Amino acid sequence: MSDRLVHVLGIVVAALVVTILLAPVLLTAVLSLSSDSYFTFPPDSWGLRQYREVLGDARWASAVSYSFELAVPVALLSVAIAVPTAFAIGRSRLPGRHAIYAGGLAGIVVPISAFAIALYGVFAELGLHGTYVGLVLANTVLAVPVVLIVVTAAMARVPVELELAAMAAGASRRRAWLGITTRLLLPSIVAGGVLAFVTSFDEVVLIVFLGGVDQTTLPKAILDSARFGVSPVITAVSTLLMLGTSAVAIAAVGLARRRR
Amino acid sequence: MTIPAVERSADGAATAALELRGVDKAFGPAVALDGVDLSVARGELVTLLGPSGSGKTTLLRIVVGFESPTAGRVILRGQEISRMTPAERDVGMVFQHYALFPHMTVADNVGYGLKVRRRSRAERERRVAEVLELLRMSGYERRYPRELSGGQQQRVALGRALAYDPEIVLMDEPLGALDRALRTEMEQEIRRIHRDLGATILYVTHDQQEALALSDRIAIMRAGRIVGEGTPDELYERPPSAFVASFFANASLLTVDSYELEPGGTADVRCNGQRLSCAAPGLSPGDDGVLAVRRRSLRRAGEARSLRLAGVVAEVLRLGDDRQVTVDVPGAGRIVALLAAWESGDLRLGMRLELFVAWDQAVLVTAD
Repeated sequence: MSDRLVHVLGIVVAALVVTILLAPVLLTAVLSLSSDSYFTFPPDSWGLRQYREVLGDARWASAVSYSFELAVPVALLSVAIAVPTAFAIGRSRLPGRHAIYAGGLAGIVVPISAFAIALYGVFAELGLHGTYVGLVLANTVLAVPVVLIVVTAAMARVPVELELAAMAAGASRRRAWLGITTRLLLPSIVAGGVLAFVTSFDEVVLIVFLGGVDQTTLPKAILDSARFGVSPVITAVSTLLMLGTSAVAIAAVGLARRRR
Repeated sequence: MTIPAVERSADGAATAALELRGVDKAFGPAVALDGVDLSVARGELVTLLGPSGSGKTTLLRIVVGFESPTAGRVILRGQEISRMTPAERDVGMVFQHYALFPHMTVADNVGYGLKVRRRSRAERERRVAEVLELLRMSGYERRYPRELSGGQQQRVALGRALAYDPEIVLMDEPLGALDRALRTEMEQEIRRIHRDLGATILYVTHDQQEALALSDRIAIMRAGRIVGEGTPDELYERPPSAFVASFFANASLLTVDSYELEPGGTADVRCNGQRLSCAAPGLSPGDDGVLAVRRRSLRRAGEARSLRLAGVVAEVLRLGDDRQVTVDVPGAGRIVALLAAWESGDLRLGMRLELFVAWDQAVLVTAD
């Protein structure tokens, strides 16, 4: 096969995959512009009725705000745990640092339902079930790997010589780590934090297993709404959620790419 | 932190900027340094020269404080610094790949050591301007490293190591990443800066030409030990061992039938069926001796008191103005000669060739 053919085939396959993956997303977005009070396709009339309903309904607003209340501390906590861990893995001679890395990634390697069931038992024992603190901790376990991956990868690209040069010039190790390496990692740390935020904001399995009746995040509210009566309002909610998280994720990736 | 000053000997040890005494370094079972003694006088440029893996970079890392010695002492200006952190030592370091801070301007890079030392802004600005002037980099203050060429980056790296006027500047193959033309230019720059500032420099390289061009003194390293030390001339003319002769002076080593040491550092040698008298520095009775012959000292025409070497041409290379000829001499070994091209005459592979070396150009050395 000629290189050219392979090239064209590659583009076709990629286009197909992207289309199949994005089709439901586009469909949801299109449906959210319907003015009907029930699902029809194609919609009989168009308008922003679904969006007006979302914004007018206090339940959605409170779900969004609860998602923020969880995701912000999860992001901060994940960064606070993952950045020092990344230094231990990438910049120390600590024995077992590779095991620490593997352990740090466990949160995304273990199937989430298995993890949720395990936590269910532990939380019941500790009285954390249905509590805010419990949810923050559980989501942090999921979000730490995301930050850890982003920051360790970025750290591998910051030459150790920069720290050594700073120390040779008279800086303490702490100053070299903070002023040089951490400073150079800052875009990646922020990007990792944003991705941790999105991970927690989007999370639906843990909240179903571990959340109490009054703890409703946005994804949980969408799930409930889909379960207890199909209303086209969720298309508007989903579209807003997708737009919001994509914007944040794109900003984060863009930030990580800058200053390379 | 107070450190007791090391007693200074009467014979001028106080003028040594850096002294290493019996420095050992082991990484687990692997011995990287084995009893290294070295002294660098103030204002001197000393080069550690050796093949890769000989321990020269490890030694530099011990002096700067990135590694600590397993045994032995590192003394800087009379103070033992072996257990100090790098920040407490007052050294400067230049890395092979520059290691400039990418998020800082040229001025901030050069001024980093001063900033860490809490010097005033005015003093920093004045000193940075001075150093950039010395490095012919004035006008680049606000540039970032990524906007500079490799040679310019290395100048900034030099500036960063020199700006706070450290006791000693350590350079770890600083020209290794530059191309040949730039390297020659930077050799001259380092030489000039060293002269202008009177800076004490410990320089690491595996390139003997670089070592020759730069150094006041050279220490040759092999397998974690210093196996030869002296001025470029001394090491070149009177190598202390076969390794130094071949590694540093590109000398050929000839098998010696027998020899007898004579008073005055010479020896009566039997080689290739002939007798000759030549220098024999650093040889003790009972050592295995080999005869070191530098490439350039071989001639096609013999004079009186010359050793005659006849053999078969194995290789001919054109090197600029010279031809490099490799000749296999039965009973003596393989010799490499550098002959001026315009007088080298007919040279073909496989031909028989006679070469001569004057007795006073040959050196008997220990076969190590």
